[in-house]
Amino acid sequence: MAQFISKKVLGSTLTLVFVLVFNFFLFRVVQPDPVANLFRGRNVPQARLDQMRTDFGLDGSRLTQFWAYLRETLQLNLGFSYQSRQPVWDDIASKIWPTVQLVGLAAILSAAIGIIGGVIAGWRRGSAADYSITSTTMAFYSMPDFWLGMLLLVAFAVVFPWFPVGGMTELGVEHSGVGAILDRLHHLALPCLTLTLAYLGEYAIVTRSSLLDVMGEEYLTLAQAKGLRDIQVRNRHAVPNALLPVVTLAAINFGFVLSGAIAVETLFSWPGLGKATSDAVLGPDLPMLQGLFLVFSAAVIVFNLAADVLYAFLDPRVRPA
Amino acid sequence: MTLLEVSDLTVTYRSRSGDVPAVRGVSLSVERGGSLGLAGESGCGKSTIAGAILRLLPPGTGVTGDILLDGDDVLAMNPGQLRAVRWTKTAIVFQGALHALNPVQRIARQISEPMLLHQTQPTKRSAATRVHELLEQVGLPPDRAGAYPHQLSGGQRQRVLIAMALACDPDLLIADEPTTALDVMVQAQVLQLLGSLRVERGLSMIFITHDLSVLTDVCDHLAVMYAGRIVEEGPSGTVFTDPQHPYTGALAAAFPTIGDPASRMRPAGLGGDPPDPAHLPTGCPFHPRCPVAEDRCATTDVRLTPIGGGIGGGLGADADGVRDRLAACVLVGST
Amino acid sequence: MTSPTMQRRLASTTNVLVRFWRSRPGRIGLIVLVVFGAMALAAPLLADRSGLDAVASRRAGAPQWGSPSTWWPLGTDHLRRSVWAQFVWGSRISLFVGLAATVVTIAVGTLVGVTAGFFGGRLDGVLMRVTEWFLVVPFLPLAIVLATVLGRSVWNIIFVIGVTSWPSTARLVRAQVLTVKQRLFVDRSRSLGASSAYIVRRHIMPNVSGLILANATLAVPISILTETTLSFLGLGDPQRASWGKMLNDAFFESAITRNAWWYFLPPGLGILVVVLAFTLIGQTLEQLADPRLADR
Repeated sequence: MAQFISKKVLGSTLTLVFVLVFNFFLFRVVQPDPVANLFRGRNVPQARLDQMRTDFGLDGSRLTQFWAYLRETLQLNLGFSYQSRQPVWDDIASKIWPTVQLVGLAAILSAAIGIIGGVIAGWRRGSAADYSITSTTMAFYSMPDFWLGMLLLVAFAVVFPWFPVGGMTELGVEHSGVGAILDRLHHLALPCLTLTLAYLGEYAIVTRSSLLDVMGEEYLTLAQAKGLRDIQVRNRHAVPNALLPVVTLAAINFGFVLSGAIAVETLFSWPGLGKATSDAVLGPDLPMLQGLFLVFSAAVIVFNLAADVLYAFLDPRVRPA
Repeated sequence: MTLLEVSDLTVTYRSRSGDVPAVRGVSLSVERGGSLGLAGESGCGKSTIAGAILRLLPPGTGVTGDILLDGDDVLAMNPGQLRAVRWTKTAIVFQGALHALNPVQRIARQISEPMLLHQTQPTKRSAATRVHELLEQVGLPPDRAGAYPHQLSGGQRQRVLIAMALACDPDLLIADEPTTALDVMVQAQVLQLLGSLRVERGLSMIFITHDLSVLTDVCDHLAVMYAGRIVEEGPSGTVFTDPQHPYTGALAAAFPTIGDPASRMRPAGLGGDPPDPAHLPTGCPFHPRCPVAEDRCATTDVRLTPIGGGIGGGLGADADGVRDRLAACVLVGST
Repeated sequence: MTSPTMQRRLASTTNVLVRFWRSRPGRIGLIVLVVFGAMALAAPLLADRSGLDAVASRRAGAPQWGSPSTWWPLGTDHLRRSVWAQFVWGSRISLFVGLAATVVTIAVGTLVGVTAGFFGGRLDGVLMRVTEWFLVVPFLPLAIVLATVLGRSVWNIIFVIGVTSWPSTARLVRAQVLTVKQRLFVDRSRSLGASSAYIVRRHIMPNVSGLILANATLAVPISILTETTLSFLGLGDPQRASWGKMLNDAFFESAITRNAWWYFLPPGLGILVVVLAFTLIGQTLEQLADPRLADR
């Protein structure tokens, strides 16, 4: 098992290295002279600019620049943001938690609701429940998630002003303790609802499909022959087997979910990585984009690795003997 | 004492293209401690009967007739009674293919599940002890209790299924093709196991297979099925050595006994395929493939009738307990 | 190709079309698409182009944020432009980009998939590594980064979507090619002296094309949704109206707080309906290609 895990870790590290290479070359193509860009519109003496180029290691060959980039990235030195003039990593670090709150909660809720819906729909295939669950989830899955957010905003923040229009906290008011938590939840409600509805479709469809695959198997008839109730057969034998691919999907999705809320965060002015991305696009704040891209990719790679290992724990057939 | 009595069982599957009559008026019985072999090609309805006894067929399937298990009418039971009867009175041993067992559960857990469900074992610990006993009885090393199905061989999986079936001490064991997927050596071991279980525990059995030669050793009584009906039945020895119905003859010849010159001389094999249950031939369903068919076979619908002067008219036994010989062929009997 | 072959191909194609028409979801999807396609093509007839121009609209006396009751049929936006005109003309971009990007996706994906699957060996290994890399990298950030770097135009968007979407097609196609390759007739063909190109053309492609078609139809919704998101974030072509751009304007000009529902409801509904239509068609095609899926 340890060998299995270390092989997977090696693979993931390799992928991460490729991401770094890609990141480096893509942005070097676009901004051959980051120093000039950084001080665009400011009157800086040429000597100073040249000095900075040397400091940043920009006067060497492509290869030496790449090594420098590699070294700096590992030290979490990701450059300076054009827009805020702050270190990119500091900006990013402060925005990770808001995104994790929003997207993490939505991921858990959508997985739970989606899976339950998929199980009910699949077990009672062809019934009214199946039909209604499948069509609703398909509808949610087919619309732009931020558009759904717009509808929810209009309905519950404008027409019925029950929820705030955006942001993470109430402006100008200092909450503390329970009040702060309630305020946060109040602001979290609509964006989280939007993401939950947008994501649950995929879980429902995959769970249903997986359950249908399992339903023809003989061990279910055997379970019935043993005297188990229908629900017991479903929950004890069908669902654990059907959930295997869904769990992997969920684990992988958690990784993608970090970057999946870009449009929704923008819509709700939620100060997380997603909003930072769309703000950076407006610049364009290339160092920021580069840093964000790296963080998003790293998240996906890490969660993919976690998904592989988790699957091995859950499905005894996959484990090395 | 009759443990299982099936009277005029008819099973019709509902499908998109219409109704499919899989079993058409079958009657059979099993005595306490007795064993019945049910033989026939694929699609003749034998596995359907197994499913019908415990009402395991897909919802919506049309089932008529009577199934009396120890005097209780299975078809009239409510869901609660039915669930109580399953596995405790009658258990099924399926073919030990890989997916007959839940792939993600250890076999000990699967074997103990019915014990805890029906409370034949009060605690998990006592169930675990019982699991070990059962594994030993079926000839599996007890350390395999924690194994997953994919870690076992085909023969071992079959034994697990047998152990599982014995978990709640049922009166009747239905074995549905238990040796079909196994190679010959393992087949012999499993058959020996079933035979000894019968003797030691007084277990009643229904043994379903397409291999007629297997049944003669394990079963007292034999019924041959074709196209949803029983076409011949009687004591297993005589049915195999002296088949009356042409189909039985062909089936027996397909599995010759090595070293027996009589079976060597018999014509072997049968052309054609079993009929599609949705489109049965007129008259006797076997006539298109029958080597001795006459013209009237295409028009006369045959029923099981006693041959060789038995009591007649059903499944009775004479004073010595010897069952009737019955056959469904216009060319046989009545002489 | 000999005449009996042509007849056979014609007969089987007709058969597929008939079975497609018999399926209700497929029928509905197709009708919806035809309606929207017709609307996009007939744009000049349905809405005057001047409705897209702010200056001309002011001259025409259009109000700002006029609701549909004041300016038929769908009201106006912050620049007094006709929302209906934007909807009708915008459908062109959304549909065109969706289809064109899918063409790129399918073309690249099929090329990579067939090459990797058919030739195998090291080539397969390398191509699959590349494909997996693309699958791991988060799709939207990659698209955003590329779009930012390349600039805002319709063709760049098509390129960006195509480049980020081809991997899943490639994987699917490769799997199918591997299945077909195992079949005996390929070996027999080779022993008769057939060249690789011939085998690919005559044997591999016909057996893969059904899958590709179904996959393509399901890829279009992804392309459309991606274009919408990219336009919403400001990466679309600023000169052209598109449904995504309408949503972008709606948000940044506070149509939501004004409750100017006529501005953001139609484009979203349009996307929803078109995406559903393609999904229904794609699912029907999938069922036709693989009858085992028919009972779902």
